[in-house]
Amino acid sequence: MKMERINKLITLKQAGEMISDGDKVAIAGSLIRRHPMALVHEIVRQKKKNLTILGWNNGIDFDMLIGAECVKEAHSSYVGLSNVGLAPNFRRAVQEGKVRFVDHSETCAIDKFRAGATGAPYALSKTPLHNDLQKNPEYQKEVTDPFTGEKWIALEAFRPNIAIMHAHRADIYGNVQLDPQRMMDNETDILICKSADKVIVTVEEIVEEEEIIRTPAQTVLSKFFVDAVVLAPYGAHPNSCDLRYDFDIQHSRLYRDMSLSQEGFIEYMDKYVYSSSNWEEYLEKIGKDRLDAITRTDIIRR
Amino acid sequence: MQGYTLAELLAVEASKYVKDDEMNFVGIGTGGQAWIMAVGMPTVAVCLAQHDHAPNATLMIGPVLDPLLDDIYVPDANWEYDLIHWPCRCQIPLEDALGIFRQGRLGLSFASAAQVDKYGNFNIARIGTKENMKVRLPGCLAQTDHGAYANRICVTVRHNRRTLVEHVDFISSAGHENREGLPGGGPVLVLTDKAVMDFEPSTGLMRLKSVHPGVKVEDVIENTGFSLIIPSSVPETSPPTKEELQLIREVIDPKRKFLEARITQEAAVLEE
Repeated sequence: MKMERINKLITLKQAGEMISDGDKVAIAGSLIRRHPMALVHEIVRQKKKNLTILGWNNGIDFDMLIGAECVKEAHSSYVGLSNVGLAPNFRRAVQEGKVRFVDHSETCAIDKFRAGATGAPYALSKTPLHNDLQKNPEYQKEVTDPFTGEKWIALEAFRPNIAIMHAHRADIYGNVQLDPQRMMDNETDILICKSADKVIVTVEEIVEEEEIIRTPAQTVLSKFFVDAVVLAPYGAHPNSCDLRYDFDIQHSRLYRDMSLSQEGFIEYMDKYVYSSSNWEEYLEKIGKDRLDAITRTDIIRR
Repeated sequence: MQGYTLAELLAVEASKYVKDDEMNFVGIGTGGQAWIMAVGMPTVAVCLAQHDHAPNATLMIGPVLDPLLDDIYVPDANWEYDLIHWPCRCQIPLEDALGIFRQGRLGLSFASAAQVDKYGNFNIARIGTKENMKVRLPGCLAQTDHGAYANRICVTVRHNRRTLVEHVDFISSAGHENREGLPGGGPVLVLTDKAVMDFEPSTGLMRLKSVHPGVKVEDVIENTGFSLIIPSSVPETSPPTKEELQLIREVIDPKRKFLEARITQEAAVLEE
């Protein structure tokens, strides 16, 4: 029987529907960089519950999902708003014991994704020796190096049900590219996606397959790894997106200020997330002037 | 008027611990005073060492590896756009940069912390116990990895009893209490606004090394939350030389991007 090629371009709403209550969701991006916020908003709007969220270095992505009560457990080496300060919802929820937070170091979190991405059951690390990472049961499996007899800690692989990432461009078949000049902090995104059963990538732009074929070395995820692609310009806002746009420090400060109280956070979410039926409506509220102010207009060199 | 700032004094002191042909580390940091202690001052220290006894020393600023550090090469701001364009010899995936120090190739790692205790354990994860948490801080970042693998660590903090404590509330980086199986050497240097401290090799306990000009030993003892080892004679921290100050002010940091955090969105000075 003759089959059709699979067009993986779907809407944000459809992407949200791929995520189920109770899923382990890995979130790409680092610190204040390129977290998939359009999809985070959609997860919140669809009121997903009891998620376990996994990352290596996180910010407003984790903070918003935790504040919106979508999360039962979170894993990362960092949840904060960088130079804007502490992440208020994360701080409140962890202090009050509403969310289980598992502290990782950067290498431990990345190792767990790499183990998942390579099909290994666990990674080996000496990082957790003699510090309080070992207060969590995730860090209490000791193994002995069969060659030297040395003690190591076994870190179980992260195997998320789904990974979500924001990237620069893709074709409709799911071939995902990053611009050649970029912040190399976010290369871990690729491991994060490869560790997951399903992968959704939101992108700044959809390009023709011919353009991908012209620049294949810029493809970081072959369509083989990608289940769905969603077009979401400024899809990382207020996080930065490499040379395309900067961290929106002004909006991040507004988010922080409003999130200092639970009531204020609800007011923020009503105004920016719940009353926006899609990402475009959110961007309209941010305003063209603000988006222009953070946008870099250099031509991306390929 | 002493003719130099606290940040200049600390940068010159820290530069003496930078060895030639080693990789050194600073993070990307946040802003203000915290940024000066964790990133700005250490970067000037490495650059000073490159101009003097360590021309082959390199610096890792997150995934930006071996950047050019003299002022003319340093961007005016630290937006992601500027970090990507900062002239450097290497940009590699972060997990590969972290791999460098897991192989024992990281020389001096610069850190700051909310709490440091007598054994040199650091805490950047939380204040209070798990059950009675006062402040949940963002988390360990790569500090735990540095505690495990860096050859040497220099930590810079405010000198008060809130920061220098008997026991940290959470060990985010291991000090000298027990290092069995850890490849790295742990903390070697504690810099504050009052003094320089190191660790006694036989006990692993923190020891006063020098007091900054004008600071009394009693003042240091009074502001330390544990019993600091006090040698029989405590010298003054050497003030920067005229040549060192000239290098900092004319070549390395004339616009105070580093020592007053002007590269960040939040300029500050270390003097309170």
